[in-house]
Amino acid sequence: MKYTPLYPVHEERGAKIVDFAGWALPLQFSGALAEHVQVRDRVGVFDCSHMGEFLVNGPRAIEALGSLTVADLPGLPPGRCRYTALLNETGGIIDDMVVLRLDETRLFVVTNAGPLDQVAEILTALPGVENLSDQTAKIDVQGPLSREVLLGLGCETIRSLAYWTGSETTCLGTACRVTRGGYTGELGYELFLPVDTAVRVWNRLLEDPRVAACGLAARDTLRVEMSYPLSGQDFGPDTTPLEAGMERFIHWDHVFPGRERMIRARDTGDYARLVPVVSLDRRSPRHGFDLQVGDRPVGVVTSGTYGPSLGTGVGLARVTPDVAISGTRLKAGPRSLELEVVAPPAYRKGTCRMNVMDKDAAP
Amino acid sequence: MNPESLKYSDEHEWVGESNGVYVVGITDFAQEKLGDITYVELPAIGRKLARGEEAAIVESVKAASDVFAPVSGTVVEVNYTLENDPGLINRDPFGRGWIFKLKDINAAEYDELMTYIAYRAFCQGES
Repeated sequence: MKYTPLYPVHEERGAKIVDFAGWALPLQFSGALAEHVQVRDRVGVFDCSHMGEFLVNGPRAIEALGSLTVADLPGLPPGRCRYTALLNETGGIIDDMVVLRLDETRLFVVTNAGPLDQVAEILTALPGVENLSDQTAKIDVQGPLSREVLLGLGCETIRSLAYWTGSETTCLGTACRVTRGGYTGELGYELFLPVDTAVRVWNRLLEDPRVAACGLAARDTLRVEMSYPLSGQDFGPDTTPLEAGMERFIHWDHVFPGRERMIRARDTGDYARLVPVVSLDRRSPRHGFDLQVGDRPVGVVTSGTYGPSLGTGVGLARVTPDVAISGTRLKAGPRSLELEVVAPPAYRKGTCRMNVMDKDAAP
Repeated sequence: MNPESLKYSDEHEWVGESNGVYVVGITDFAQEKLGDITYVELPAIGRKLARGEEAAIVESVKAASDVFAPVSGTVVEVNYTLENDPGLINRDPFGRGWIFKLKDINAAEYDELMTYIAYRAFCQGES
């Protein structure tokens, strides 16, 4: 089992700990539902130190990494983030990643814990790529009041960060990288810190009464409500980005693995779709539930849970293209739970895209 | 209800008797394992249950679990409050979080259920 630098603090707080991709991580502190609401209404902090981070140095490395993903990485402007997918030879997804362009010559790449060994092997084989995972702690500060909380701690550089941008800065007395994003749907920031500062920063954040520690259970209900897919669960090596609902992140005008096949699929429309589904009451769809229309099998639920902010079950499903239309009713699982296909995101009141500069202008 | 005066099944249901009516719920150990409960499906009133039969379903953020009839009997009352507030089971598993009530139970089966002390030992073995 691997431990993050914050593990002793979680244990002290009485967190329920689980094994997630070989890491001992907090499942919950006070309870999944309370933590979910905490993030939607105030601020939650998450320990994401298990995730992978890489520094990509130089135009050759940027170009090389770009050719393994669906994104136009050389064309990414400094200060901007992009969500993309790292592909195997056939165009299947090894992992999804967030890429921040630090400046003209460097990218900062954030990946998941599950396939990290494989991802590290591929990335560090490229010229000029450094694996920073072991020396980097990651704390996500998520919720509508996250900006005020960080500004209150003197973290001024976040003041002007727009959605999906980031920078290198000093925050809470330590050099760090910050992106405005996260996987909850709320206004939020991801702090990438030297491991030896993690406990101090975590505790400083939690001194604020508006902040509470949150675990993986809430992280899951928050991301499923937002219809964000999870690497290794909603997609994997057998899934192309098209089939993972990532069409809008595909930059078609560059060479990447599986491109021809994906162009054919795109043009014929003949590929499986990843779509959000909701139930009509409090019952939850679950991972692995088969889906039917009448007696016809049309797909499978890939993620499913209760959506506390929706008040119904919610999930993601891989379905045949003919039923990937909002309003389609599906029967799911052994008890024929009724689900409805909806447009993403299933939850629409998230504050993640909030224009914070308007907030400053307000009286 | 006072947990010490209840009887327990090895599926983590509790049964409490008062005036010939047997109240059934799930234990604190069970609700703790399940995590936040989000949905409860109650049995129909009048339904005759055999011991071990699926009587109710409790869904949490994590998973769905069956609640089994700890003894054979007839459902005479169900806790409708749980339909809108399933979290009552987390907050008060031995009290307001009760799930259903049985009458005409099989007394021999009731006698076979665990006492509080036996159940506590049973849980220690499971965790």
